[in-house]
Amino acid sequence: MAQVRLASIGKTYEGATANTIRGLDLEVQDGEFLVLVGPSGCGKSTTLRMIAGLEEPTEGAIWIGNRRVDGLEPRERDIAMVFQNYALYPHMTVAQNMSFGLRLAKVPKPEIRRRVEAAAETLGLSALLGRHPKALSGGQRQRVAMGRAIVREPGVFLFDEPLSNLDAQLRGQMRAEIRRLHDRLSATTVYVTHDQVEAMTLADRVVVLKDGRIEQQGTPQELYDRPATRFVAGFLGSPQMNFLAGEVRQGALDLGAGLVLALPPGHALAEGRKLDVGIRPEAFAVAAPGAAILSPRADLVELLGATSLVHFSHADQPCTALVPPAQAPRAGAVIGLTLAPDRISLFDAETGRAV
Amino acid sequence: MTENRSRSRRVLGVSLILVAIVLCFFTPFLWIVSNSFKPQLTIFADVTPLSWKTFLPVHPVLENYRTLFARTNILHALLNTAIVSAAQVALTLVLCSMAAYALTRIRFRGSKVVFALILLTFLLPVEAMLVPLYQVVSGLGLDNTLLGVMIPWIASPFGLFLLKQSFEELPRDLEDAARIDGAGHLRTFVSVILPNVKVPLLTLGLVTFLFSWNSFLWPLVIAQAPEIQLIQVAIAQQGSPTQLPNWGETFAGATVATLPLILLFLLLQKYFTQGMAMSGIKG
Ligand SMILES: Nc1ncnc2c1ncn2[C@@H]1O[C@H](COP(=O)(O)OP(=O)(O)OP(=O)(O)O)[C@@H](O)[C@H]1O
Ligand SMILES: [Mg+2]
Repeated sequence: MAQVRLASIGKTYEGATANTIRGLDLEVQDGEFLVLVGPSGCGKSTTLRMIAGLEEPTEGAIWIGNRRVDGLEPRERDIAMVFQNYALYPHMTVAQNMSFGLRLAKVPKPEIRRRVEAAAETLGLSALLGRHPKALSGGQRQRVAMGRAIVREPGVFLFDEPLSNLDAQLRGQMRAEIRRLHDRLSATTVYVTHDQVEAMTLADRVVVLKDGRIEQQGTPQELYDRPATRFVAGFLGSPQMNFLAGEVRQGALDLGAGLVLALPPGHALAEGRKLDVGIRPEAFAVAAPGAAILSPRADLVELLGATSLVHFSHADQPCTALVPPAQAPRAGAVIGLTLAPDRISLFDAETGRAV
Repeated sequence: MTENRSRSRRVLGVSLILVAIVLCFFTPFLWIVSNSFKPQLTIFADVTPLSWKTFLPVHPVLENYRTLFARTNILHALLNTAIVSAAQVALTLVLCSMAAYALTRIRFRGSKVVFALILLTFLLPVEAMLVPLYQVVSGLGLDNTLLGVMIPWIASPFGLFLLKQSFEELPRDLEDAARIDGAGHLRTFVSVILPNVKVPLLTLGLVTFLFSWNSFLWPLVIAQAPEIQLIQVAIAQQGSPTQLPNWGETFAGATVATLPLILLFLLLQKYFTQGMAMSGIKG
């Protein structure tokens, strides 16, 4: 029973000239895993810290459950938070780190022991309860930080880039573990990251922030397939979406250098309208010489294992295509490519909005 | 081979310099200690010619110590000094750590100005403050009290500076985490901040102790009554002004006064050297 609601939240830091968050409305359903993504400095941490009660909004209201919580201390908000650098207390053992909050809340000792042991069991920390943080690996510290949040049995979990200090392999592993944990506890979760892979894999719903405003929100698939703006399209997906300048000519899409595509079905656009055409790297397919609609020279070919990335340029704009390694050309060779018209996204060249 | 030789030559050179430095510092001390075991006449007879006899008592006697403890109230002075030093250490730690925490972590208007003003007092030499300090402290009716001896030094700008640096090195997330865990300012300070600055606290404690134990000028000015004399003053004043000083007794007094510091040093050597490095004060 802990949905989170932010209503017209604004935040201007003391001494700052511009406001960091502007008119933010956000609802997180009970049990939902919501991921906040966006580039550095867009206000993700600020938003999360306002939910936690570490920062106060300059305007607007915050509800957790059916209580209005802005103005309340963090401990009164039924939340727990995991920090980017874990923020474990260096002088306390793992068990003491996990139980500090419970001890302050005067939870009876046997109950504390029960919860700490259960959390340690879940996270595979049982053997480490007597250690100090400096004697732990990065991944173990990360787990302790999560354990500290779990034992409090909060209504809402808040994560601020919890995996960004781990190496790639461990990050993948912990990502899966966090999702499993969420499925088990089904507690409302707000998770901040600037890693779009984390956003795609973890989220029930993704909220893309830009300059303190919501750019778009939806399920990962919705955002991937139907980005509302060029910014969202470029932010989600790896390797990044290609953008080529195009223009509507005689009812078709002219991408320059002799490449003309039919307009995607359902689009009737004014003659001469300038567009940014978004093409996901996997939308290209290798074609026989006769069937190819473009035949660029490959500048660089990167083998990623299961796939290969072919870099080329089209009308002086860099472009990448994702192709099976068996079909990848050598660098410098010409490759024939086709492109399905329904696999492209169109954005207004000026506003960046999807058309 | 040649590299090895030049290396060992360098080690030898450095060792020689270190030995010379140690001798420079150690010889006078050795002289004081050994002469405290000699009768007054022997002390001067042994000075020239310089020989091993100058530094070692041939027939050690305890007479100096016996008369020192019998004739003067040095035990009482030692006790006074111990009380003042211990209290000064405790109060300095409490006051400086709380002030430093407030100045680093609690946002308030003018905190920078407050800090600058406090540091400014660090720049004034003690001698320059002696007269006004005396007026203030005696005006408070604290002259000839142990409290009056320590009170001007408790709010130590050096301590504030040292601890402020240490607090600033602690990640702020620690306090955020403590706040999420439900700790208020005081609880965070006591349970999360202080345990993580143990070394700077110990260092400040030691430097303060050393300063307090060895202080001479201020106690001489403010605490003249014999019953509250401190050890350094007591040693300096043990002879009456009309007599020649009894050197054997003076040396015995100096030895007794230094003993607690040496014990402390041996016990906490590591923190002492750290403290010296941090403070730039030499002993
Ligand atoms: N305490 C503060 N005082 C003033 N400005 C701040 C403060 N904290 C953050 N800001 C500013 O607010 C903006 C948003 O910061 P925030 O930390 O929320 O970004 P973020 O999205 O979390 O970025 P990152 O991905 O780099 O962590 C930034 O421009 C930052 O400089
Ligand atoms: Mg951040």
